[in-house]
Amino acid sequence: MEVTKVYVVNSALVKIDRHFSKGYKELANEVISEVISKSGIESVDLVVVSNMFSDCILDQLDISTILMQNLGMTKVRALRVETGESSGLAALETAWMAIESGAAENVLVIGVEKVTEYPTYKINKMYGKVLDYEVEFIRNITPPDYAALVMKAYLKKFGLKREDLISWPVKMHDNASRNAYAQLSFRISPEKVFTSMVISDPIHLLDTFPLGDGAAALLLTSSKAVRNTATEPVIVAHVDSAVSTQFHLREDLTRLPATAALASRLKEKFGNKVLTEAAIELHDSYSIYAYIILEELGLAERGKAREIVDKLEFVNVSGGLKARGHPFGATGVYQIAELYKLMTEGFAGKKFDGEYAIAHSMSGPDYNARVALLQKLV
Amino acid sequence: MKYSIPKFWRRKEGYYQVVLTKCKECGKVAFFAYVRCPYCGSSNIELVKSSGRGVIEEYTVSYNRVEGGEEYLPKIIAVVKLSEGVRVVGELVDADPAEVKEGMAVEAVLRRFSSDDPHGLIYYGIKFVPAIRR
Repeated sequence: MEVTKVYVVNSALVKIDRHFSKGYKELANEVISEVISKSGIESVDLVVVSNMFSDCILDQLDISTILMQNLGMTKVRALRVETGESSGLAALETAWMAIESGAAENVLVIGVEKVTEYPTYKINKMYGKVLDYEVEFIRNITPPDYAALVMKAYLKKFGLKREDLISWPVKMHDNASRNAYAQLSFRISPEKVFTSMVISDPIHLLDTFPLGDGAAALLLTSSKAVRNTATEPVIVAHVDSAVSTQFHLREDLTRLPATAALASRLKEKFGNKVLTEAAIELHDSYSIYAYIILEELGLAERGKAREIVDKLEFVNVSGGLKARGHPFGATGVYQIAELYKLMTEGFAGKKFDGEYAIAHSMSGPDYNARVALLQKLV
Repeated sequence: MKYSIPKFWRRKEGYYQVVLTKCKECGKVAFFAYVRCPYCGSSNIELVKSSGRGVIEEYTVSYNRVEGGEEYLPKIIAVVKLSEGVRVVGELVDADPAEVKEGMAVEAVLRRFSSDDPHGLIYYGIKFVPAIRR
């Protein structure tokens, strides 16, 4: 049997915000309606829902079923995917595998997260559960603590000062100022990063993502079904993921092992060019991770990512997790939705004419990482 | 009552002492009582007790507010290199954040992790204190 290619044929997203008047059903409904209505695809045979917190925040298990019931989409195959903060790309991975294997032709991927149902300190507790509860979280270690330890180790290793790593959040806010869907679409000065409150020293509030609600959707099809679409298709050339060792077991605290493994596998399969010439959306949950991810992807030498930040034209055009926002389970779906638009109609005031785009997502301090490679039809 | 009894009880040895997983296949030693070697996946392991003594390699003073953990803020989270050469990340208590330094000698003590307010369980376990206190 010939292996089919997998295509994204449409994407939709809502502005990430504190949507107090809307629940997850309303947010998901908005993006589903939009993504299907303009695509020319009349029915889907699989729905993959990415959501990280439904059990904790929404008191809802089996969210894919309940969502389908509420939208009148019964009899369809539906499932939820959860891999912590990278859930969105895991949903894409599931859909991609389903189409490539021939098990499905038209797949709807939905990422939806409602985090503003509770105050921040409650969400912080739930967020800590992306770490190993029994080994780490029960002992009061939380994700920003690790980011702080990584930043200090990185500064020490490469002989840098804290102010040397200030350009990332400033650039992300600048990018987000052109993204109509971004949660924090305002510019900031470097001074503002330092005067924002300390979360885990040296990580300040403006080194991290805001809490906001969001929903994004993708419509994927097979080679056969892509002929029926009314919109421009983009190929999902590859999706890959890896798990890494726990933080305290790492020899070098300044490396992200799963991301490094994925970069090396991508390079081996597609050549170095896909990494250096692609438009990229990467997982900058804390600004220190952005610098290290740039290095792991081979865009900069170790310890030198700060030197290239200002020159990056097509990296986190959205504003990244830092400023576009990070509605956890929806974030990976946002990344693909944004890259699809960037490669077709244009996004955030830019259009990318290159051949490849890469979405990178991870959970916690790279406990798992995922990448998706999009390719323009030529 | 929000806290589970069995979930904590079955791991208590690993919370009340610093326990290491020693792999007889790859020879590596890891903090925590794992069910297999977290490096190579071998089940040919033994659990050994650490001296609980070590030095601080790295630390952060954290103000990250997490429900139920407010009374402990700011907390110090430290990367400790144990005398056995193994790394553990844990809380440092009884220390003034301004006086904490890399290379500082620390040792493990039994403290409260958290409690199930107002009348529920208390989870206890290992934290670190500056060794000079003794």
